[in-house]
Amino acid sequence: MSLFLLNRLFKTNYQAISLIAGGLLFSAMATAQQGEAETVPSVQHPADTANQWLAKMSQAVSSLNYSVSFVLLKPGIDSQPYQWRHGITATGEQMEELNLLNGPGRKVLRVNNKVGYFEPNVPPYSLESSSINGPFPINLLRQPERLADGYDVMLMGTSRVSGKAAQQIKMVSRDKTRYGLNLWLDQTTGMILKMNMFNLKNQLLEQIQVTKLEVTEQPDAFFEQVSATMLPAVVPINDKGIQPSPWKINYLPTGMQITKRQKRRLSSNGALVDYIMLSDGLVDVSLYISSILSNQSSNKVVGVSQTDTVYTLQNGPWSVTVIGKIPPSTADAIASSIQRLGS
Amino acid sequence: MSQKFENLSALVDGESSLSDQVLNAVKEDKELMQKWKNYHLIREGLRRELPDNPNLDITSNVMAALESEPAILAPNNQTVRKPWAAIPLFGGASALLKQGGHMAIAASVAVAVILGVQQVNQPEIEQPFSAAPPILGIQGGLSPVSYEQTRPVSQAADAAEYKHRVRAYLNDHRQQMRFKTLPSESVQGDAQTQHQRDESVLAKPSVQN
Repeated sequence: MSLFLLNRLFKTNYQAISLIAGGLLFSAMATAQQGEAETVPSVQHPADTANQWLAKMSQAVSSLNYSVSFVLLKPGIDSQPYQWRHGITATGEQMEELNLLNGPGRKVLRVNNKVGYFEPNVPPYSLESSSINGPFPINLLRQPERLADGYDVMLMGTSRVSGKAAQQIKMVSRDKTRYGLNLWLDQTTGMILKMNMFNLKNQLLEQIQVTKLEVTEQPDAFFEQVSATMLPAVVPINDKGIQPSPWKINYLPTGMQITKRQKRRLSSNGALVDYIMLSDGLVDVSLYISSILSNQSSNKVVGVSQTDTVYTLQNGPWSVTVIGKIPPSTADAIASSIQRLGS
Repeated sequence: MSQKFENLSALVDGESSLSDQVLNAVKEDKELMQKWKNYHLIREGLRRELPDNPNLDITSNVMAALESEPAILAPNNQTVRKPWAAIPLFGGASALLKQGGHMAIAASVAVAVILGVQQVNQPEIEQPFSAAPPILGIQGGLSPVSYEQTRPVSQAADAAEYKHRVRAYLNDHRQQMRFKTLPSESVQGDAQTQHQRDESVLAKPSVQN
């Protein structure tokens, strides 16, 4: 028997087992909370594969009326509790709110494609976006199908998360160069309940745990008081996109692409750098290239800030700094592959 | 021969109706047992779930080694008894020592085997979050750790300058992340899915982690 066939059969076998387990759990849940299950709106979506579960989640996130409380946990900083609400009003307007509950707070409010930011120390402003970029990766929630180039998606078992029967999904980068994700989705609604980011040794790096999920028939009463006119003016954009550059990157992890390439002046110290942004949809990596004379002709330094890897490679007269949620080895591979054209 | 592997393969795939029969065969047959392990190893590999350091089962090797080396487990009586018995004071105690020694050796072997088995069969523990080591630096800051340095950052000025530079980069990266937006549905068909705003037009937004 070929290995491929073996693998496929294992997978189907696994699914069958998880379905049976899910079924058992479900029947138990149904008897426990009769009636409630019937009134909770849910997305009608077949979901027997991991990709279908992700599609179900994506549809649920953008179409249901919900109120979610979750906590973001990262090493090195305090836990961050958030409230996240979404509703579609009777007139068909999409409304979304993300609220950081600790400290001076940070409130983000979206009406359709206008996102207003209300933060301490900064005058309120708006951006144009069809979704709020919160702790959950924006593309994972909204366009999970776009992650297929870089990640394998696997259907895992079922378990209980946030008091609900949950389906576990595992995402692993195809070439094992990036961190992976474990997701737990509510079996009834498809809403995300928990997200773990783990490194290549399966150690937990970052965690988001939903503590309360309420899916309702009607949007939250809060949204009745909100209208697009309450949002500050949209800030004009100045995005230079991908511009020609003398730098060539010879190695990119599977599924990663250049999404930005430009000369930038840093707002904090005014220095001019060559900036390149790479993205595979799930993680974004920034590259800063500058010509800096140093005593060392060749030097590598790696640091970690929260879950971001900060890696600097001094290579002759220029230095490359890579920042992003990727393992140091991958940052090294990318930085080492950079070459200046025409030199 | 191939039929017996075929049966095992079917069992592992959950397709076999002869599960009891095959399982018994596996118990009897060393070769089949090895195959059984290999099939599971292959599955892990294909699903990319292999640990970085595979927990290879060395218990059988340890057992074999222990069995083939009786000389160490039961040392020659002559060599043990002679020096002790020669000293009158210890002459009487030597019998006790001998017995105790045997027990100690047996016990230490048992401990070694138990430790070995525990080490080998340790499950991969998912670290509880609270136990994560606080190595990741000060809040919002950066603690550079030397890594494969060809030469240490020798001069303080160099290091300070580097720190300053990296902090500026890190702030810039965080800003990029914060101003990440998603194009509305109508333009989602574009090749460029990511769309970030240049924050330079904004009035110095605070960087929040």
